Amino acid sequence: MPRIKTRLNGLGQINPMLVIFFLSLSILLFFVFITLSNMIVQQIVSDFSGLIEAVRDSSVLEAIFLSLYSGFLATLISFILGVPTAYLLARKDFIGKRIIESILDIPVVVPHTVAGIALLTIFGANGLIGDPLESIVQFRDALAGTVVAMLFVSAPYLTNSAREGFQSVDPRLENAARSLGAPLWKAFLFVTFPLASRHLLTGSIMCWARAISEFGAVIMLAYYPMVGPTLIYERFTSMGLSESRPIAVLLILVTLTIFVILRMISSGWRRYDRD
Amino acid sequence: MKYSNILKITGIIAMVLVIFAGIGCMSDTGESTTEDNQGTDSQQQDDVVLKVFHAGSLTIPFKELEQMYEKRNPNVDVRREAGGSVATVRKVTETGKQADVVGVADYSLVPNMMMPEYTNWYSAFAKNQMVIAYTEDSKYSDEINKDNWYDILRRSDVTFGLSNPNDDPCGYRSQMVTQIAEIYYNDSQVYDDLMASNTAMDTTSNDGTYTVNVPKSENINPNSDKIMMRSMETELSSALEMGEIDYFYIYRSVAVQHGFEFVELPSEIDLSSVKHEDMYSKVKVKRGNGDLSKGKPIVYGVTIPDTVNQKEHAVGFIKLIHSKDGQQVLENNGQPPIVPASTNNINNVPKKLREYF
Repeated sequence: MPRIKTRLNGLGQINPMLVIFFLSLSILLFFVFITLSNMIVQQIVSDFSGLIEAVRDSSVLEAIFLSLYSGFLATLISFILGVPTAYLLARKDFIGKRIIESILDIPVVVPHTVAGIALLTIFGANGLIGDPLESIVQFRDALAGTVVAMLFVSAPYLTNSAREGFQSVDPRLENAARSLGAPLWKAFLFVTFPLASRHLLTGSIMCWARAISEFGAVIMLAYYPMVGPTLIYERFTSMGLSESRPIAVLLILVTLTIFVILRMISSGWRRYDRD
Repeated sequence: MKYSNILKITGIIAMVLVIFAGIGCMSDTGESTTEDNQGTDSQQQDDVVLKVFHAGSLTIPFKELEQMYEKRNPNVDVRREAGGSVATVRKVTETGKQADVVGVADYSLVPNMMMPEYTNWYSAFAKNQMVIAYTEDSKYSDEINKDNWYDILRRSDVTFGLSNPNDDPCGYRSQMVTQIAEIYYNDSQVYDDLMASNTAMDTTSNDGTYTVNVPKSENINPNSDKIMMRSMETELSSALEMGEIDYFYIYRSVAVQHGFEFVELPSEIDLSSVKHEDMYSKVKVKRGNGDLSKGKPIVYGVTIPDTVNQKEHAVGFIKLIHSKDGQQVLENNGQPPIVPASTNNINNVPKKLREYF
């Protein structure tokens, strides 16, 4: 008997702390799962035809596509700007680095309607950036505005994940490559970048997800063209729950499918972590 | 590390506070409800929460009334939630959010959307009128007046704001004003030039009456070089302050409260006067969901929905709105009170309020 007990303890099977932790996990999972699945199941059970109608409604599909597309553009820009930023923050020490890191994180804590107002002030026709660019690109009520709003709120997720990724790569590997004659860019591109790739993908998924779900900042800067969340809000205010829920369910189903696929791909990349 | 740690710690503390505050409020309301019934001493009667949902354009007067009410009833915490009037009603009727008082910018929403399931009476307690608001930085602001405003808005370099007719009474009233202006100024192109050619909205006319057809919101497609459309009229105020737009259609009250300049329109078209109701009624707006709104004077409505938790204070708050002090607040904010107020059925009005009708 005592032997078995020690063994079990050793495996951490019935450790009371873990039991409590497992309970926390169950509550959290239940909370998220029940909220979303209840809506989806209710929609399918009580109003399946409404869902079919939403699938057939071209303006619904356009709005959802626009969400995915502008979210993708925001992620692409976040990637192009965020990866080099993250590398610098992970590898170099310089004056004011901590402050810079905090500033880059601010969009995560700012209420998004406030972010929207701030963005409109900067990117509006008379704004600091919007004014000089007025003849080239319009931000207010345009795709560019949607992308900028999404970029603002979602970029920190990619940058932070990429920084963690680069930090997890041993600098000695880079140094080894350089000592063998590789220039810095080659060491970055062929050693550090692939080793951090899973973090980069995870960060990109988070960034994209955040961009798609953004509403507060987008609606301030670009009410039109309507993205998914704006359309859901619109349908709710003008026509009520029965008209808006199918779109919400559809948006959840579409994004969920994409994210599950991406998650599977990213866990397939786990082998890079071990190298 | 320090700064990001501080951020994280602040975040965690904030979260914990929110959670505890939430729990605190819940138990408080629970307690106070039972206390109300039992009529125990005031020491324990902390934090009765009175939930007031109201139209965006009532934000400022209701904020002042909130402060007044809380001062007179220190145990009450009035919590206001502003939104488009239609959305405000839907919050109660469709999402089942609990409200004690509902105030809307078009009293007819109460009989149309809330009766008989959620209430059986309303009070029409204040008026408003439509104006064209601007600032001194707006293009041609030194020229605009009540005879040429539609010509100024027509100019190709002028931009103006509208709230969404599907979401907001101010939005469909803007459409009405523009259409009635055609009749009043005897210029058959006003609506076409300002609205029809810049959005997917249009009008059909029949025997001297007009119907503005508003498509579903996602299909309105406003020309963003000319028109800025938002869900709620109050969102456009900041756009005007930023110079994003030159003019916008808005209630006089909002223009007064924000200190904007504004063009006071002729009373034949500004939806302010019961005298011109015949003129207003020549225009209807058909919204994206098929609902039809007929032009009529702008009258605010308030009611107590069946979701009420704090009946006594809901009545108290509405009493304050109708009292001399409340009338003064409304007057100062450009929303002249209707005295006596009017209602659909005096017998359904709570007894303590009947003196105001």
